[in-house]
Amino acid sequence: MSLSNALLTGDLNQLPGRRDEDWRWTDLRGVIKTAPPRSPIDDRVLAAGPFGSLEGQEILIINGQSSAGLELVIAPDTRQVVRLRLVSTTDGTSHTVAFKVKLGAGAELVLLESHEGLADGYISSVDLDFDLAEGGRLERIVIADDGAHAISVNRSHVVMGPKSSFSQSVLTRGARRQRIETVLVHPGAEAQVEMNGVYLLDGQRHADITTSVEHAGPGGVTRQLTKGVVRDQSRGVFQGRILVDAGADQTEAKMGHHALILSDRAEVDARPELLIHADDVQCAHGNTIGALDEEALFYMCQRGLPEEEARSLLIAAFVDEVVCLIRDSAAQDCTRTWISDARGRT
Amino acid sequence: MVAVKKTVQQVENLEKYQHGFVTSIEQDFAPKGLSADTIAFISEKKGEPKWMLDWRMAAYERWLALNEPDWAKVSFPKIDFQDSYYYAAPKERTGPASLDEVDPEILETYAKLGIPLREQEVLAGVIGSPRYAVDAVFDSVSVVTTFKKELAAVGVIFCPMSEAIREHPELVQKYLGTVVPVSDNYYACLNSAVFSDGSFVYIPPGVRCPMELSTYFRINAAESGQFERTLIIADAGSYVSYLEGCTAPMRDENQLHAAVVELVALDDAEIKYSTVQNWYPGDPETGRGGIYNFVTKRADCRGARSKVSWTQVETGSAITWKYPSCILRGEGSVGEFYSIAITNGRQQADTGTKMIHLGANTRSRIISKGISAGRSSNTYRGLVSIHPKAGGARNFTQCDSLLIGKTCAAHTVPYVEARNGSCVLEHEATTTRLSEDQLFYAMQRGFSQEEAVQLLVNGFVKEVLQELPMEFAVEAQKLVAISLEGSVG
Amino acid sequence: MLKIEGLRAEVGGTEILKGLTLEVPTGEVHAIMGPNGAGKSTLSYVLTGRPGYEVTAGSAELDGEDLLALLPNERAAKGMFLSFQYPLEIPGVPALTFIRTALNAQRKARGEADVTAPEFMKLVRLRAGELKMDFDMLKRALNVGFSGGEKKRMEILQMAMLSPRLSILDETDSGLDIDALRIVSEGVNALRGPDRSMLVITHYQRLLDYIRPDRVHVLAGGRIVASGGPELALELEREGYDKYAGAA
Repeated sequence: MSLSNALLTGDLNQLPGRRDEDWRWTDLRGVIKTAPPRSPIDDRVLAAGPFGSLEGQEILIINGQSSAGLELVIAPDTRQVVRLRLVSTTDGTSHTVAFKVKLGAGAELVLLESHEGLADGYISSVDLDFDLAEGGRLERIVIADDGAHAISVNRSHVVMGPKSSFSQSVLTRGARRQRIETVLVHPGAEAQVEMNGVYLLDGQRHADITTSVEHAGPGGVTRQLTKGVVRDQSRGVFQGRILVDAGADQTEAKMGHHALILSDRAEVDARPELLIHADDVQCAHGNTIGALDEEALFYMCQRGLPEEEARSLLIAAFVDEVVCLIRDSAAQDCTRTWISDARGRT
Repeated sequence: MVAVKKTVQQVENLEKYQHGFVTSIEQDFAPKGLSADTIAFISEKKGEPKWMLDWRMAAYERWLALNEPDWAKVSFPKIDFQDSYYYAAPKERTGPASLDEVDPEILETYAKLGIPLREQEVLAGVIGSPRYAVDAVFDSVSVVTTFKKELAAVGVIFCPMSEAIREHPELVQKYLGTVVPVSDNYYACLNSAVFSDGSFVYIPPGVRCPMELSTYFRINAAESGQFERTLIIADAGSYVSYLEGCTAPMRDENQLHAAVVELVALDDAEIKYSTVQNWYPGDPETGRGGIYNFVTKRADCRGARSKVSWTQVETGSAITWKYPSCILRGEGSVGEFYSIAITNGRQQADTGTKMIHLGANTRSRIISKGISAGRSSNTYRGLVSIHPKAGGARNFTQCDSLLIGKTCAAHTVPYVEARNGSCVLEHEATTTRLSEDQLFYAMQRGFSQEEAVQLLVNGFVKEVLQELPMEFAVEAQKLVAISLEGSVG
Repeated sequence: MLKIEGLRAEVGGTEILKGLTLEVPTGEVHAIMGPNGAGKSTLSYVLTGRPGYEVTAGSAELDGEDLLALLPNERAAKGMFLSFQYPLEIPGVPALTFIRTALNAQRKARGEADVTAPEFMKLVRLRAGELKMDFDMLKRALNVGFSGGEKKRMEILQMAMLSPRLSILDETDSGLDIDALRIVSEGVNALRGPDRSMLVITHYQRLLDYIRPDRVHVLAGGRIVASGGPELALELEREGYDKYAGAA
């Protein structure tokens, strides 16, 4: 059951809906009543994407079509920076993408992934497979900049070797329905997982950040921090699952989700799950949802800041905690610019 | 660490369930199985008016159309609803007029369980010891309710549900099924059709109930289920503290306990509802037998500034599946949920709460402490939902799980839905094992390892124990120790 | 009182104590000094039976009785007390409850009657007062949210309440300011007596200005490499441990 299957087969019964426990807050059945036609081939020349100012190879996939192939292989013990641009250009159409990323032993990749909506309403379903060999290091930074009426699902499946490292930062401003899902099997074995996210939603946008980490071996570490800001009638969803298998001792997993609701008509839904089958573990999650800290606002105003500026500063500081966790400093600057642009547009 | 290993072994060598005896008395049964006839039989036995029978029959029709739910993290063979008795009662009248008419075997049973049924025994206790009134439910009927006269003097109604249906139909008709609708869920619907006894409580406006009320549920008959129904109404400005306890004999078969509890709190009223649940958990080695405890408990904080506090100590049952919940409808109403759930052997528990914030400035607080040992599985599942009109709503949730041993599981599955810009929700959860460092530290100071485990576990659950009425807190603490420690001493 | 001979111990497969021999006669206070990583804390954990510290050779006796065969709590009941370098936090257990329960558990193991609540409260108030501790702090969960100095005072209070025969003080001075150091030292000195012994483990000489030892030993490379009177501590303070660096 997935959006990709529904689009590929034309069978809308394959769509997940609110009766499916993992999709209860991201109903696709209710919003896709007919299967839209396939997106056309579009070979126009595009302006630079959100990571355009950074060095590195660019892989461009427009409407599900790529001239550069659908696989990225990083040779052992080499380092690369790659911009992966997934662009949707045509209203009322749909496309699917299946892309594979393989890191050889000791390879290092900074993947700058952007989902760019150059149209308003389309359906995009992207499936990414990540395979990290021993000692492989992947930093994945995702900017999801979909159209306000788009339906977009981005699912990643990550398999990690011993001592590998997977670090992910997702930044999104949502879509009509948008899901960014990462399913990861953690081998333990000194491998490191970090998954962070930011959602900034306004209008009637919806964003769903879903993660699932299965600790299959002992000695694994997972850190997660997701922060969200919702205004107007938007809706943010966070689902984080940490599963520790029997025998995955000394697992250390921490998950945090914190959201600001800035309107009485906005909504935040969260389900941080811990499913633990081993005893020698330290797992924790924290979840807070609320308005801006009024005392802090007052303090800043009392020192002379106009309220709107104080608010803006507090929100920026709130979100920036996640941005600071991006390791690649050039990418960090890029995302900061994107965030302030995104907030400026609202 | 050696100490942990030994502890695990000790935990595995569970002390035998202490309430597993059977009382042999002559009993009346409904014909085995579930049908319209069974329901008519139950209604007839209880001398119910027609409206009640109609209500049951309507529920039965609805139930036939429902499917069994499967979303909880529990697994068990499919229940054959035709292979059970829905009514079992000691052979006697509908209810004894006085304690002297109660079968001495039954009195003996409650004495063994430490439940005071003779008012003078309670009165003769140590000066200053708290008094509490008891409704004793034995299988499908209430066998005795104590202190009724004294309570009636202040206008408090405390009686078996079957009596309330006959004596206070206006109250029952006004409130029954208004908190848990007939077709709310599969088991609640079943209960609505076949419920037998349970307690009915009404506290009139402005009255502070002069003593703790309690119901003691005992399943005795084999191949029977218990389907009690409890309804508590706290009228404006009143207060009541209510406690229920549950035990059952050790049997190889699984027995179903599908209760419905409805609480209604009007303006400024407060209900404190405590449960010490110690149904037979089944054989710790084989997992045979034990109670399926599938219960629907819900409170409606209808009035402004009303308050309902659920406290539960769940140590028994093969499977526990319950979510005592609060609908916070009244402005400024407060819901609380304090829970200790301990699973050992092969027990499975999926328990938690729902806090539904509908009104402005409503507040809720959830403290859940789960302890898993043996081969058991313990899940906290909860929902905090803030509706658009619940401006200023607050929730604090703390869920901690403690694992003892390598073969158990602990799950935390909280759902949070916030649809208001001025709410503040905080949720924290941790899962850890008993700390070796803390154990060693305590042992260095002279505690044996069993004492050290007990000390740490007591510290872990203390926040919740404090919420119990004092006389039960001591009981509950002992129960916690027994559930986990095996042979302490 | 304490007699250690040829003690060898491993932690996680690495040998830390390499044939340590030491004797502390009844009524004496001995100091153990040494560079970081010499095995000072390991010695205190081996003597008190911390799991994970494996003795591979040698012996340790308390009053002629084999210590190493006993569980940690049994050693405690025999009168051994370790003031931890990093005292643990025990959530949910008030300090008073903890101490009283520990005291009675030890008494029970020795076949003595429980201390009654009034006796205990009287004594604990007295001892807490001597250590200038806020009594309300004792009602809080043990060490939870306490500062480093408060935790050390709490250790000494427990020591005073449990009145051990052999106390091991592991870096008790670390994290203490000068006033706290004086108060804690007074507390320790009050427990000195003809039938009690102490082993004071410290990196710096400073503590020994307050708790005057009868003997000073240098622990380096897992063995006692030098012993002497109080003057040895001053010499170490002046000249450092370099001289003993190769001794292992």
